[in-house]
Amino acid sequence: MQQLDNQEILMKLKSSKQFWDIKKKIKQGFSDQQKIGVNDIQKFAQSCEIEDQLIKLISHILKKSKKRETLKEDQIEFLNTSKIKWTELLFKNLDIVHQKTKNQEEDDTNTDSKLYIYDEKNLLAFLQTFKQQQSNNLYQNVQFQSNKILNINIPLKSSQSILDKYQYLLLQEELSDEKINKIRKQIENEHLDIELEKIAQTFVPNGERCLLYLKYFEFDHQDTVLQQHFVKLQKECLNQLFYDELLEIDGHEISEDTFYFVFQEQILTCLKCFIRDRTIKENIRIQLQSGIKKEHAEFQLPITGFFPFKNISKYVAPLCYLSTKIHIIYALFKEFFCRYFCFLHAISSESNSILSLCMQIEEIVSTRSPKLFHHLKVIGCDTLKLIIHQLVYCFIGDMDPPHILTIYDQIIGHDSLEILVILCVGFLNKYKSKLLLAKNQENVQQIFSELREDRFQELVQYAYKQ
Amino acid sequence: MLIISISLQQNYSSNLKFKTSFRNCILEAFKRRLWKETEGDDWDIMWAEKEWIHEVLDHTHLQSNQKINHFRNHYELTRKDLMIKNFKRYKKNLEREGKQEEANNYNFFPLTFHLPSEYPIFVEEFKRQSTNSDTKTAWIMKPIGKSQGKGIFIFNKIQQISQWKNTLRYNQDNPQAEAYIVQKYIADPLLIGGKKFDMRIYLLCTSYQPLTLYLYRTGFARFTHHRYDSEDISNTYVHLTNVAIQKTSDNYDEKLGGKWNLQTLKLYLMTKYGQEKVAETFYNIQMLMIRSLQAVQKIIINDKHCFELYGFDILLDAQLKPWLLEVNASPSMTSNTPVDFELKCGLLDDVFTIIDLEKVLTGNEEQIGGFDLICKGNPIKLPINSTFTTYLGAFNNRQQQLKKIAKSTAIRLAQTYQESQTKAIEIGSKGQKEKEEKDKQMRSSSKGPQVMQNGGNGNNKPNNLTKQNTIIKRNTTNLPALGTVQNKSNIKRQPLQNAGQQQQQNQQSQSNSSKKNNPNEDSMLSANQKLQKLTQESKINQFQPYKQQSQYNEVMGMGVVSRNLQKNEE
Repeated sequence: MQQLDNQEILMKLKSSKQFWDIKKKIKQGFSDQQKIGVNDIQKFAQSCEIEDQLIKLISHILKKSKKRETLKEDQIEFLNTSKIKWTELLFKNLDIVHQKTKNQEEDDTNTDSKLYIYDEKNLLAFLQTFKQQQSNNLYQNVQFQSNKILNINIPLKSSQSILDKYQYLLLQEELSDEKINKIRKQIENEHLDIELEKIAQTFVPNGERCLLYLKYFEFDHQDTVLQQHFVKLQKECLNQLFYDELLEIDGHEISEDTFYFVFQEQILTCLKCFIRDRTIKENIRIQLQSGIKKEHAEFQLPITGFFPFKNISKYVAPLCYLSTKIHIIYALFKEFFCRYFCFLHAISSESNSILSLCMQIEEIVSTRSPKLFHHLKVIGCDTLKLIIHQLVYCFIGDMDPPHILTIYDQIIGHDSLEILVILCVGFLNKYKSKLLLAKNQENVQQIFSELREDRFQELVQYAYKQ
Repeated sequence: MLIISISLQQNYSSNLKFKTSFRNCILEAFKRRLWKETEGDDWDIMWAEKEWIHEVLDHTHLQSNQKINHFRNHYELTRKDLMIKNFKRYKKNLEREGKQEEANNYNFFPLTFHLPSEYPIFVEEFKRQSTNSDTKTAWIMKPIGKSQGKGIFIFNKIQQISQWKNTLRYNQDNPQAEAYIVQKYIADPLLIGGKKFDMRIYLLCTSYQPLTLYLYRTGFARFTHHRYDSEDISNTYVHLTNVAIQKTSDNYDEKLGGKWNLQTLKLYLMTKYGQEKVAETFYNIQMLMIRSLQAVQKIIINDKHCFELYGFDILLDAQLKPWLLEVNASPSMTSNTPVDFELKCGLLDDVFTIIDLEKVLTGNEEQIGGFDLICKGNPIKLPINSTFTTYLGAFNNRQQQLKKIAKSTAIRLAQTYQESQTKAIEIGSKGQKEKEEKDKQMRSSSKGPQVMQNGGNGNNKPNNLTKQNTIIKRNTTNLPALGTVQNKSNIKRQPLQNAGQQQQQNQQSQSNSSKKNNPNEDSMLSANQKLQKLTQESKINQFQPYKQQSQYNEVMGMGVVSRNLQKNEE
């Protein structure tokens, strides 16, 4: 970890608006006095909470200077070995995909447009194998008599605490124009993470979202840097990679969505740059696949350190509603993926990981809607199987873009993916009555194939409904 | 028993006849109304090609009930050069009258010259522009009287048109001389997904005296692949997407036609720019359209037989300022997708309702189907407390709205019918005749509610209801996803209802606040569910074809009215 010296801290302090506000306040406090001692200032600062504010500001600067290390090893050994297995499995899939593309080249008539290394169902199926393994090998004495798909011994937050955390969303009021304008100004002037998070938790007005995200990721004065970086990556795109082909197929799918077909080219460009971006490996918060080096170049992991998966385009799509500049879209996507979405593909015991989120959902549904949980089990369509798509892809494609961006706000606001747990529970509750009538998997599929419109606020409300 | 011979009755004939040479959505829309096609001159409505108007209309005498889809000299607005000429003239007139402010509003068309007649002035302006700015100004050449982008090209060097100039076409004396207009190219169009787009918006004019305009809520944005040279593009961003055109991209065009409906566009703009800015833009678009027609109001020959459905092509620049590109007198009614097909059939169906061949409307309706009345003599201003500045791009609730109109119309007609009945009784002699009439009256009053049931109301007091319903208000109750304020309301309004209850709940039982069942909550939810169901229905219905004839009849209440009355007659 890199330490900042006092001079550097002062420099950073001076770049924040709050520092100058504090200074102004002190000046005002002593406007009529001629001689001012250090003690006087200290006393004054203590009396009107300026000291606290300064401490907060400095600790924030120090916190920022710390670089978050990429998580490579999990505290639970079992998950480390699982990750290696998962990686091996993906390499096998890669071989198959390779084989298929070769066959296709020879035989043009048989084009399989659905080529991908893995999708959310593969991921869930892999997670499901844990229960068996763990109970056999490690916890032979403990009896797991549960209907849950996933019941693994990892540290887990209580589901009640998650429910409590987001309950405030139910009490959201409609804001007056005046208040919205106030928030706008606040976003423009604010630089502190904590404050930006607070805004994101409550309400981000349309039109200001991009600025808030950029500020939060500290990109707000780096337009040219971002652009240069992007242009460089674009030049690299001229060298074709095998993965480009997979991304193109993936991008084709996003074009089915009315909201996003316009952006298909931009999304593809972003992704092609993404798999060539060397900085991702350092910035990503968790290592997704344990690297095994293969001899043949074609069979190696991309520079990012993980395989592109099915529907990766979905994560980019809603961000196209934020900016017309492609390098901004790319920068936001990269940051969102490295900070948050990577956890949705990580075999880990981290509280944000797909494993934890899935277990939270199972826990909440099985305790709060046991009837539904049991019914789904009986008809062979487990709870998690139902919502895994929505969970892994953040409801993108299920809700209109503004609602998706509200989810993104919440993710930033709490620096956590837990909002997805709430939404998944709400989603199940919303269709509960219909699901209870379903007799088999086809019925269930039919329910979701009907035209439906889910909204953020609505799902939150359903989540808290008993 | 053919006693009911009210004058109204004649007009209720469902034997309306139409004539058209089109074989696309227009024919389908006519057929859906169960009107009959005719080849002869006994049509009630004719959807003609522009050429027919020029060739035939002047030599034909129209019956009082006949309606035709063009004004005689519509080209004053729809031919590129004349439109600009009229705008310029109107602007000058306004300035002369001292209405400088209004004149300044006529800034929605780019600097334009007519070629070859204004060639010298153009060259002067061209030189002036290129010396004033560092980057070369691009100009666009459009042949007059050609549509669908035929013959259009862009240039930024005067040499680039020298070749064109030297051909026969330029020579003014040459009978083959082809007239062009040259316009300053809008250099910074708004790009979405790196693509340029323009909007097609539909405006119906039923009369120029007083100027009566209806604006359709749904239109679409058409995304284009860039046709022009890379040289013309100063913006690298545009260039970038140009290179990246994939072979796959052709497929979407087939599937979705490369279009967004106006609602989706509005949603995008609102997400990016915020509500106020977008509301302002859409209001400016509406005003642009009204001003365009005001400019030619005195020039167009008004005719009660004529109506016209204009297709406005509007471009937004990067500052969201709307620019008028063109006005089409015969916007394409050919569709390439099912969604497009339903949009156009719905649009035409509403046009037919507004021109009111059945003569059942009061003329006071503020909204008919997806059309909103935006001008009647003067532009209509929405109430100050309204959340909308324009309904353009708002949720198109045409189905529900048509039901509402059908209902109120049915009630009103039933009332008129009853009144005439009572009159007949008063006038009629005593004795047997009276008895007969009484029977009749009873029968007719029993029909009244039936007609009303059709609108979902079985109330037996048509008189009271009629008063309430004569002026049909806009149906704004059901505006889910896309109203101006809606994003906010969707996300924020709902919890408000819930919030109070939740708070109550919390107070009631602090220990297990979220677990205890709240009796209020059920009712709240059912209301919510209903609302949602409604919205869902409306969404589904929005562009669904009428599956059954009965459904169609229900939607088009007038048809039902006429049938009911006919039954009565028999």
